[in-house]
Amino acid sequence: MSNRFVEMGLRSPVNLTWEVTFACNLRCRHCLSASAEAAVNELTTSEALGLVEQIHQAGVFQINFGGGEPFLRPDFEEILQGCHRRGIMTCISTNGTLLDPPLAKRLAASGLVAIQVSLDGAWQATCEAIRGRGTHAAAIGALELLASSGIPTSINTVLTSLNAREIPDLQALAKTLGVSFRVSRFRPSGRGTDNWQDLRPQPEQLLDFSEWLGHQGDVRTGDSFFSLMPQERQGLGLNLCGAAKLTACVGPTGNFYPCAFLQREEFFAGSIRDQSFQEIWEGAPIYDSLRNLRIRSCEECQRFDQCHGGCPAVAYHLKSEMDGGDPECLERCVSSLAEERTTAAA
Amino acid sequence: MSLETAYILHPACRVREEAFGLLFYDSRGPRLLFAETGRLLTPEFFRGQESLHCRLLGCGAAELDRVGNLLGKLVTKGYLREQPLC
Repeated sequence: MSNRFVEMGLRSPVNLTWEVTFACNLRCRHCLSASAEAAVNELTTSEALGLVEQIHQAGVFQINFGGGEPFLRPDFEEILQGCHRRGIMTCISTNGTLLDPPLAKRLAASGLVAIQVSLDGAWQATCEAIRGRGTHAAAIGALELLASSGIPTSINTVLTSLNAREIPDLQALAKTLGVSFRVSRFRPSGRGTDNWQDLRPQPEQLLDFSEWLGHQGDVRTGDSFFSLMPQERQGLGLNLCGAAKLTACVGPTGNFYPCAFLQREEFFAGSIRDQSFQEIWEGAPIYDSLRNLRIRSCEECQRFDQCHGGCPAVAYHLKSEMDGGDPECLERCVSSLAEERTTAAA
Repeated sequence: MSLETAYILHPACRVREEAFGLLFYDSRGPRLLFAETGRLLTPEFFRGQESLHCRLLGCGAAELDRVGNLLGKLVTKGYLREQPLC
């Protein structure tokens, strides 16, 4: 991908993450937004449809819906229809518990929807240790339903210390079910902050995953793992943070942020209730700051051209600085492991 | 490349104008393609209703070549489909 054009500045995001509600019927330990109850004053149907129109006018190609559990929002299908009528592609991240055949049929009819079902372990015990009782069976049921519906579907797994060794089994399960496999990065935001030490993958697990990923061209990672990306996958995805350059995030009340992992007051870009989408995209100081962020401490690294300093959100959450470099990048994992081994040998 | 051919976007793809030219998006990757076309082509061209010949009337050989190569690349990569107009 050409960074030159990205750095020139795009007139609008390529895609937008929209957390339509914070209401959720699960309490996953790694939830990036600590979802539980709906936020106070979430966007009304009319406001949400108005936002869809603005997103369409701006030329955004795709909206990635998440939450919370999006299907808990009573008007969610209406919002989807508003997108599809305008030709906007959509991807829904769901826990799968609320899907049933009639809903799957209605979703499939648009031809513009893809669905990711969260599954955090190939085995029931692993998944339920992270997501709660009954979640493994519910996700498998939803995946079987979606696989037969014609909707492009994927398993989405957040890589943690608990499921790292099951990643190849999850890939095999996806193949058996006839769906794609996607792995996302665990970041210390939301409830993930409280459970960071328990669930964070260890450097050795990250290195193993990176090596494995290099041989799996069909496994998707979104923009999660560019800081860990092995040479073999170069060119398959991003090699820099896309926040405020290629993507942005809007929360349930219409507040905009650079990305889903930076939904905090200090990263507030503006509210759709006060400004237009285009005004926020073009004028938010925090977006300018992200666009101009340079991770100078990483510039001497041999892998700098491959990750440009990695994920600023992880750097922020772990080190309280945006420009300090990703603490879990491939180079740092290698160094950390070498240090551990030296210490152990001594 | 035939100048009498029209080009239509694959249903999984989208295109929009940017300052440098055109930005193509393929949701199947997803992947992006940045095309430095300036104002030679617009997103409307990819509705398949206009031949390349009509669109590039008055352009020089170098520009024709450049656009032809780009369209060939977009067809090969699956962003576009060729559609004869007659």
